[in-house]
Amino acid sequence: MSDAVARLGAGAIALAETVGALALFTTRVARAALRPRLDRFETWRMLYRVGVESLPIVATTAIFAGAIAVVQTGANVVKFRAYEVVGWAFGFSVFREIGPLLVGLMFSGRVGANNAAQLSTMQVTEQVDALRALAIDPIEYLVLPRVLSMVLMMTTLAVIGNAFAMVGGIATSWAMLGVDPWVFWNSFTEYVTLTDFANGVIKAAAFGLAISLVSCHFGLAVRGGALGVGRAVNSSVVASAISIFVLDYFITWILK
Amino acid sequence: MSALRFAWDEARGVARLLADTAQALLRARPPAAVVWAQAFDVGNRSVFFILVTLGFLGAILNFQTGFQAQRIFGDTSLIGAATLPILVRQLGPTLVGLMVAIRVGTGIAAEIGSMVVTEQVDALRMCGAGPVDYLVKPRVLAGLIAVPALWVIGTGAAWMAGLWVTHLAFQTNPATYVNLDLTRGADVAEGLFKAVVFGILIPVIAAHSGLQARGGSEGVGRATTQAVVSASLAVIVLDLLIGAVAFGLRGGAGA
Repeated sequence: MSDAVARLGAGAIALAETVGALALFTTRVARAALRPRLDRFETWRMLYRVGVESLPIVATTAIFAGAIAVVQTGANVVKFRAYEVVGWAFGFSVFREIGPLLVGLMFSGRVGANNAAQLSTMQVTEQVDALRALAIDPIEYLVLPRVLSMVLMMTTLAVIGNAFAMVGGIATSWAMLGVDPWVFWNSFTEYVTLTDFANGVIKAAAFGLAISLVSCHFGLAVRGGALGVGRAVNSSVVASAISIFVLDYFITWILK
Repeated sequence: MSALRFAWDEARGVARLLADTAQALLRARPPAAVVWAQAFDVGNRSVFFILVTLGFLGAILNFQTGFQAQRIFGDTSLIGAATLPILVRQLGPTLVGLMVAIRVGTGIAAEIGSMVVTEQVDALRMCGAGPVDYLVKPRVLAGLIAVPALWVIGTGAAWMAGLWVTHLAFQTNPATYVNLDLTRGADVAEGLFKAVVFGILIPVIAAHSGLQARGGSEGVGRATTQAVVSASLAVIVLDLLIGAVAFGLRGGAGA
């Protein structure tokens, strides 16, 4: 019994420590961002790596997200013969929720995990200490460009992802439900508003910020060799997923 | 088109490892104690994570649905009945699968990957214990046990969170929310089937990435990233395929 209580307490303390460390890290990044001295070369490189290299995976995910949304509403559409609202149901659920959520989780797996792996490898091979010895602030040189490019690129990828999701949605509703693409398009443009679109993009930007901060934090906080790197990646994606869901809930709540 | 080529190679490698594992399972079953220890790792250690993420998912789903229902029909009494089937057959298994890919997939890839780069797997081979028998088999069985259980727990958590949020946001009576009328046996079967497939496949994909790790801590990092991306993508692709087949089996009538 006391063992279980002790374990619960240890878990709570570990959780509080992680949240506290993340908050401290965020304030340090925010302070550095107030007087930004971005390394131009590093920023360009990160923008390219984060954006261009994750485009295939994001496009694939988005196509499937659009298709899944149509398949899952398909049963009700057929039952109620509601063929002219497919576009609306698709646009609302994908643009607002499923799109940003799945793209965010994939982005966290592709970019966030990669970033945590890279930074933690630099940390365990003492490259970060070498930077400090050269009087280069790792937050300024390593973290700021990453945060900036992840927020920018996650926002951009959400917009591009919406376009790919449209392709998946239109193709699936045409092939599976026999809905004419024009019917789909008209119902989409009639009912789906700019608010739905903006809602999803705002979410994506928030997810990008969370993923960048979490993955940089866990990457730089790594301890111990190769096993530590694996553990850092693991903690980074787990914490990213939790922050994505929590942020999603509160943004949904605030924006309605 | 190097991405396609890579995906093809990856799929082939995973299929081969899956076949090897099945063959090894037919030859000899791993000791039950090892399987249960792994199932504890996969299942119990993920429960808190699943409860948090799926709980929030249920809250979001019911809030969005209720908001739309209120705007269009002016009636929110059917939210619970309408969201439950989609939770059981699609969002529940898929999001649990993604969370397991994230939580457990990275863990397996990191563990096996660091064993590979520190040459422990080679040492195993020298002792006549292949990595499939010794490392992959118990993890696949553990996934098969734990993921369906997590599907039940996660879907339940999302459902309960929905009850709470509809009560808070739309003053829905909990007794009205608990409505199983629109949920069919077919929905449960579809969800369970997905959970079983994900439970088998995620450990295989993660182990495959881990076994391919090359070169120090950088290699482990790469293997871990690879595992979470491949496993998540596999979950999303299979969700679509199984969902489409189930839709066809129901005759497209939704009944």
